[in-house]
Amino acid sequence: MIQFSAVTQRYPGREALRDVSCEIGTGERVAVTGHSGAGKTTLLKLAAGIERASAGSVVVHGQNLAALGETALAVLRRRIGFVFQDHKLLFDRNAHENVALPLQVSGFTRAEMQRRVRASLDKVGLLGREKAMPVALSGGEQQRLCIARAIVNRPAILIADEPTGNLDAESARAIVELFSSFNQVGVTVLISSHDEASLERLGGRRITLAQGALVA
Amino acid sequence: MLHAQAAGAALGRVVAQPLATISAVLVIAIAIALPVLAAVVLKSVSTVAAGLDTDPHVNVYLALDASDEDAKKLAPLLRAHPDAASVRFVARAEALQELKSTTHLAELLASLERNPLPHAYTVRLRTTDAARLDALKADWQKLPKVDQVVADFEWSERLGRWVRFGDRALAAVGIFLALAVVFIVGHLIRLQVLTRREEIQVSQLVGATAADVRRPFLYHGILQGLLAGLAAVGLAALVSAWLQYELRALTSTYAAEFKVVFLDFGSALTIALGAALLGWVGAWVSVGRELRRFAARP
Ligand SMILES: Nc1ncnc2c1ncn2[C@@H]1O[C@H](COP(=O)(O)OP(=O)(O)OP(=O)(O)O)[C@@H](O)[C@H]1O
Ligand SMILES: [Mg+2]
Repeated sequence: MIQFSAVTQRYPGREALRDVSCEIGTGERVAVTGHSGAGKTTLLKLAAGIERASAGSVVVHGQNLAALGETALAVLRRRIGFVFQDHKLLFDRNAHENVALPLQVSGFTRAEMQRRVRASLDKVGLLGREKAMPVALSGGEQQRLCIARAIVNRPAILIADEPTGNLDAESARAIVELFSSFNQVGVTVLISSHDEASLERLGGRRITLAQGALVA
Repeated sequence: MLHAQAAGAALGRVVAQPLATISAVLVIAIAIALPVLAAVVLKSVSTVAAGLDTDPHVNVYLALDASDEDAKKLAPLLRAHPDAASVRFVARAEALQELKSTTHLAELLASLERNPLPHAYTVRLRTTDAARLDALKADWQKLPKVDQVVADFEWSERLGRWVRFGDRALAAVGIFLALAVVFIVGHLIRLQVLTRREEIQVSQLVGATAADVRRPFLYHGILQGLLAGLAAVGLAALVSAWLQYELRALTSTYAAEFKVVFLDFGSALTIALGAALLGWVGAWVSVGRELRRFAARP
């Protein structure tokens, strides 16, 4: 499903990932751990086709991302749900409009958008908050709104970057359970975290990074 | 579906900011209306110029007391000149009749006791050379009973030359103003892109292609251009109508009839669609540049 072969990612003056090879199978539940700056976000972005690797190959859904043009890569991103570490919510749009953005991009009809957004908000427990602006939501609710946006296209792969960061234990548990439930219905789940309690609860396989290299 | 959505979004933006839209459209409309007005004036003048006789010829007016006999004696002398191609006699009665039928002066002329016009000859020439023309005029001026030799094709020819020059100057000015419209629309769209920067970035993250991002801005540019084009035609029509009104007051006292020739429907449509095209080009250039800048800064 996702295959990294000798992947290196260089940023100006910095090697964020060095010679990383690993594989995440269909329906798997995988946690990426490591200290701050270890390269977790970098790995997830490469897996989602948000960035291109400097060297090595990343294959997702059977497609080598290096071989895809910008348009094909954008279209591939529609098939992968991504929960960003910094949320990336639009603060001048309400909950419904934020969740609808990926559908709008994909060109769904208004009625179909309405239906899918409601289903998505329902799954994360935000039904009835469609009109709420992001600032009116708590940290945990904002996190769930991001998850609703990530699953609205019904992706087979769901990637979440520190979805429990900055949340109290109770909210964090609810979020982890949400991902477990998605995984139980067949969605491949890839999550980064350095919160040991959440990692315990999530279970599944672990990938550990240290200074850009795979250590376990 | 994607196009309908993008067009709807663009329309929404235009309607959501009525003041910004109106001022933007007016600025562009004025840039378009200027050459359109110039074209209207030029077309009107060239219509007059086309009606004028620009073939080289001189009119030889005889003295008022010249008899039919005197006039007849003159014909072979004029014809004998090497530069004379053909010679036509215009009897004074005939000239009066012509004047009555082509101008509004009929009443005034009818009230006169006697014909104020002299006999005349119209001589078509084989030359436009100024020196030979002057020599010929001086020669004929000395013939008996000749009052005046007038070569008024010269100024109508000059007018024709100015109209042709005006056409070319207008084309150059038109190109500059078209570029200005592209820049203005481009600038306005750039501001839109910058205020929507976050939305664009998040859209790209969730799978928007460059074309998806560009589409609503292109429709916005087209819409702005189209509205400006229509406003420009309207503006030009208003000013021409006013010019026509002023000119009518002025020209009714003279014999000459001068009409403002306004654009036909086809030209008006061409201007509106051309403006829409310029809006599209401006939006394309500007969105493309901004997207490349976003891409350079991850
Ligand atoms: N766009 C970038 N330009 C330059 N350096 C970058 C860029 N993105 C990441 N880095 C660097 O690459 C390294 C890995 O970053 P990354 O964001 O993957 O770490 P992380 O494991 O997600 O850390 P955290 O737990 O703090 O989120 C860091 O040292 C970071 O400073
Ligand atoms: Mg990170």
